[in-house]
Amino acid sequence: MRFVDEFRDAELGRAVAMEILSLVEPGRQYKLMEVCGGHTHSIYKYGIDDLLPANVELVHGPGCPVCEIPMGRVDDGIAIAHTDGVIFTCFGDMMRVPGSDGSLLDAKAAGGDIRMVYSPLDALRIAKQNPDREVVFFAIGFETTAPSTALTLKRARAEGLKNFSVMCSHVTIVPPLRALLESPDLRLDGFIGPGHVSTVVGARPFQFIPADYGKPVVIAGFEPLDILQAIEMILRQLAGGRCDVENQYKRVVPFEGNLRALEVMAEVFELRPHFEWRGLGFISHSGLKLSDAYADLDAEVRFSVPGVRVADPKACQCGEVLKGVIKPWECKVFGTGCTPERPIGTCMVSSEGACAAYYNFGRFAREREVV
Amino acid sequence: MSADDACGSQHCITCGDDGVPMTVVRVDLERGLALCAAQDGARSSVETALVAPVDIGDTLLVHAGTALARLEPTA
Repeated sequence: MRFVDEFRDAELGRAVAMEILSLVEPGRQYKLMEVCGGHTHSIYKYGIDDLLPANVELVHGPGCPVCEIPMGRVDDGIAIAHTDGVIFTCFGDMMRVPGSDGSLLDAKAAGGDIRMVYSPLDALRIAKQNPDREVVFFAIGFETTAPSTALTLKRARAEGLKNFSVMCSHVTIVPPLRALLESPDLRLDGFIGPGHVSTVVGARPFQFIPADYGKPVVIAGFEPLDILQAIEMILRQLAGGRCDVENQYKRVVPFEGNLRALEVMAEVFELRPHFEWRGLGFISHSGLKLSDAYADLDAEVRFSVPGVRVADPKACQCGEVLKGVIKPWECKVFGTGCTPERPIGTCMVSSEGACAAYYNFGRFAREREVV
Repeated sequence: MSADDACGSQHCITCGDDGVPMTVVRVDLERGLALCAAQDGARSSVETALVAPVDIGDTLLVHAGTALARLEPTA
């Protein structure tokens, strides 16, 4: 298919890998973070790390929208789902994220009317089909997904739908990146920037990374050649002593982003003063809530939620994995107590989660075979 | 149907920062929607407000039921 097949060409991939090899200095260690969970998934699906020199290490960032959801938010969702007359809707991966007393899937098994949807529009359709029931959509995701929720809320308002509301857990990408860069136990040389978040926000929000922290950023697509070329572009910047924001994914990402998406988000959402991230703690201005103009469609206003902070399980090291301090297999419970079938931590739930990507693609080995 | 079955291929298209190229098959101007087909032939309604106007045959990058960008052929 156009826009897909040409970015999976093995010959070209090998040529870019050779270019990468020529750019690295022997004896120097390179640590590059792929911010987005979609990149993590592609890297292991296509074995991209096996094409890299031994001294180029990929660190998995906080960009999985499921992995950052803390247990307390899941508990809040389950509390709404158990309210009489409620149909609770969410994306598939959210169903398995553990709360303090089970997941939404467990709550469904216990009798809650919890339904998986592919889009907020699906949830709106369920609301129209069930006018005597309250339909709640559990909105998660970064700026990629937030416009979809915002447009659906505008549609609900325009159609005068009274039985639809949103539990908003959308987050923004820049504050956690800044928090990571301020972390004293993290040493990174550059970033593979998130492709589809950038489709919405553009390249400009990432300029603080070279400006304030002296690290290169290359916004990348999700096919194997996209990621390899982004790595090559970062290494070329490092070899030349430069640090800039570059855009490898120009076929999709405009420098200014999608202005219509930014407008609709600004109308429907406002920043929360703080939002809790699993493993990273509270980060200022990193979460979105519905604006005052849309407060009547806010499920947290319409229903009572516990809003209790729940500490992560002691055995779980998702926080260190999300910060790139340890590799997934270095976690004490990886592949034993914590598996995709019975996850303890959220990084093992979503296919974009670093632990699940390692587990599903057989990356148990402590040593990496290199070219 | 479990969440895994629904997502398929160990990859959930809606949850991650994922975008799927889809081709416009029919346009509903009044409702701001387009019927789009994915590579595997699966069809779904897509919100087009962020990329409108769209025409039949356009390729859109779709995430969570919303078109985020129009894909242009690379030179």
